[in-house]
Amino acid sequence: MKTQSGTNQNMAFRVVDYFRRSQIAGTMIVLGAILVVSSFVSNKFLTPYNLQIMVRSLAFTGMVSLGQGLLLLLGDIDLSVGAVAGLCGVICGKFAVEMHLNPYLAIVLALMFGLLFGAFNGLLVTSFKLNAIVLTIGMQTVYRGINQVITKGRTITGFPKNITVLGAGNVIGIPTPAIVLVAVFCLMYFLTRRTTYGRNVYAVGNSIDTAKMVGIKTQRVRIISYAICGFLAGLAGILMSMRLASAQASIGEIWVLPSIAAPVIGGVATTGGIGSITGALIGGAIMGVVSNIIVLGNVNIYWQQVLNGAIVVVAIIFDSFAQKFRKI
Amino acid sequence: MVVLDAKGISKSFPGVKALNNVDLTLNSGEIHCIVGENGAGKSTLVKILTGILTAEQGNLFIGGKLVDKSNKELYSKVAYVPQELNLFKYMTVAENIFLPFDKTSFPSFIVDTKKIEAATKPYLEKLNMTADPSSTIINIPVSEQQMLQVARAIARQNFSVLILDEPTTSLTRQETERFFTILHSLRDEGKSIVFISHKLDEVFSLGNRISVLRNGELVGVSDIKKVDSAWAIEKMTGEEIDVRRNYRPKTAPGELLLEVHKLSGIGFNDISFNVHKGEIVGFAGLVGAGRTEIMQTIFGYLPEKNGEVLFKGRKAKFRDTAASIKNGIIYLTEERKTHGILPYLSVRENIGVMLENQISTLGVVHSKADNSISDKVLRNYNVKATSREMKIINLSGGNQQKVLIGRTMESSPEIIIFDEPTKGIDVKTKEEIYLMMQKLAEEDQIGIILISSEIEELLKCSSRIITVYNGKKLGEFAGNQLNTGSILSSIIGITETNQTERAKL
Repeated sequence: MKTQSGTNQNMAFRVVDYFRRSQIAGTMIVLGAILVVSSFVSNKFLTPYNLQIMVRSLAFTGMVSLGQGLLLLLGDIDLSVGAVAGLCGVICGKFAVEMHLNPYLAIVLALMFGLLFGAFNGLLVTSFKLNAIVLTIGMQTVYRGINQVITKGRTITGFPKNITVLGAGNVIGIPTPAIVLVAVFCLMYFLTRRTTYGRNVYAVGNSIDTAKMVGIKTQRVRIISYAICGFLAGLAGILMSMRLASAQASIGEIWVLPSIAAPVIGGVATTGGIGSITGALIGGAIMGVVSNIIVLGNVNIYWQQVLNGAIVVVAIIFDSFAQKFRKI
Repeated sequence: MVVLDAKGISKSFPGVKALNNVDLTLNSGEIHCIVGENGAGKSTLVKILTGILTAEQGNLFIGGKLVDKSNKELYSKVAYVPQELNLFKYMTVAENIFLPFDKTSFPSFIVDTKKIEAATKPYLEKLNMTADPSSTIINIPVSEQQMLQVARAIARQNFSVLILDEPTTSLTRQETERFFTILHSLRDEGKSIVFISHKLDEVFSLGNRISVLRNGELVGVSDIKKVDSAWAIEKMTGEEIDVRRNYRPKTAPGELLLEVHKLSGIGFNDISFNVHKGEIVGFAGLVGAGRTEIMQTIFGYLPEKNGEVLFKGRKAKFRDTAASIKNGIIYLTEERKTHGILPYLSVRENIGVMLENQISTLGVVHSKADNSISDKVLRNYNVKATSREMKIINLSGGNQQKVLIGRTMESSPEIIIFDEPTKGIDVKTKEEIYLMMQKLAEEDQIGIILISSEIEELLKCSSRIITVYNGKKLGEFAGNQLNTGSILSSIIGITETNQTERAKL
């Protein structure tokens, strides 16, 4: 018994220590509080139907924000994620519906395109030492343009049923995109916490000059991260097309802001090097719950957007306070 | 007349008592020197005197009035020149002196550039500066930038106290001497000057009074004429250190490690030299002579223009720091804060980042190996840290340097380039670093390149000294040529051939 309680204490200590170090305790508490408040605000909140809707919709932006979070940790950013998501959905539709390829192959190919788009952004930013914000805004228009060229503005419909379940289906009541999100999160957690690649991401985010000095191939680390971000944006876009059973040019249009806001709410510093992938996930969850409760609360649809934006601004102000706090 | 009086000042940070019951009295018309090891509390004290931090206990009187929340404007009597350069890099000299215009003598909304530049001239003349008021900061030398910070501080007209934090680090000997005459004239005008420095010879040639801090406590105050540097060192460290000791490797140098042939790069030309196993090769020169650039080019951080580098007889790969580290060529930077540490990561992560192949297989990190290697560094290099999970930014400069040296040693180096390893580091840690270099050369047969601006340091540690002036190698000194006179005349550009040529003319 004695040893039992000893290890229990040890476990408890380790858990507390983990939260203290990873700086996500605060956001966890916020998420918990929002969940409690929400369940009082609307009696529809805790119904299985609502929870499914909420989890499914936050899964898509969640994936994008995990990729964006990775870039923010590096001190980089990719504003073309929404356009990449939409384009990958369309590419998948082109392969699966119009060219009648094996639907699974179509998905894999479309994902590879997402990876390439991201890597290309990274290659441009790092080779020409560009400002990532300006470059990726430009690339956003390029990818949107390619999307228009492919679709000529039309929607691609008629995805085979066996793949639309990936976006629209449930497994034992849990929406499949949410399951994919959890898998992606586990992988990203492992990558950032347990691998040398992840260490290098934090190193570059802390000081790119120091990273070069200790022999880190900074360009490689950054391009790989842009590629991962593009891949995840593509994944989200493809799954969204599956959910809607149609590939539309507009998919992903409104994902860019939440993809940045979620990591920031979760404690990832916009200047790089501080925060975690876990924080990005929790931040995404907070945003998802808030937008859900705004809808349930019958807020006027135009005001919903104002509220969503205001939450992001508040989060960024909070982030700047937190940074001052950290410097001491 | 007492212009500033601090009584019983205490201040704590999480886990550290930074200042404990410290008194400081500043009189007008005197130069008061504050000395102490790194982490002794000098910066904290300065931050309290200038209003950046507030003391937890104790009272601060400026001009006889107690400073509290209602009269923060009293802090404007205290002018402060920080150690680091913090100028607007892409603005002019004049703008840097007078910004913000509304708080200086130019309150009008429309900025009259000519008027401001004219007003700049007297300050530049007073500080013996040659820069033009309209030149951009990035185009003037670092030493002028440092003087400009002083000019900016004294342009705030009604100051009565001027605090200078390590103001001479990028000044040459001549510039330092000129600077001191300026400080003397300011003192004679009745200003009170606080001079913080690690260079005791400067302190004793300049000061009127001296205060010594150790571990956040005031351990000695004296009229400077009544004491000497041995007294100060004893107070600072709590024990006696023999400053006369020499740390040159006593064993004979081994085989040839590094051959540099006619190397040219950014800011230097046609540099050739060799380094053998087990020797310490010193590089002397003025700040900006090109020593750092030469080493960073060999290391692969800066691009080369011409020439070749052979490492153990094989051509070294340029532009690849990872390859250099793998081969055992390691460069320890002078810019610890920006190029050495990863500030918001733990000590453990800072150590592991350079030793990835020792702590991981196929890219996956082993926590145990990771933890034990950082514990080993902390133990072997006597780093004062509460745990390996502490953020490195919370360690003192000397301890950060020990971590960086420790991780370098774990990567089994063959050549280590130390670029100003003791810049801003206290006397006691300095000696630890000298001993460490000597041991590395003698026992591990490592070839060491030492860049330093302190001739005394180079003479104490080097087997040979190479002098660099304006991007060119001027001389190489060994054995009984190793003396202050010959090195000094070489680094300011007076070579023997020069002298004989002049004699012929």
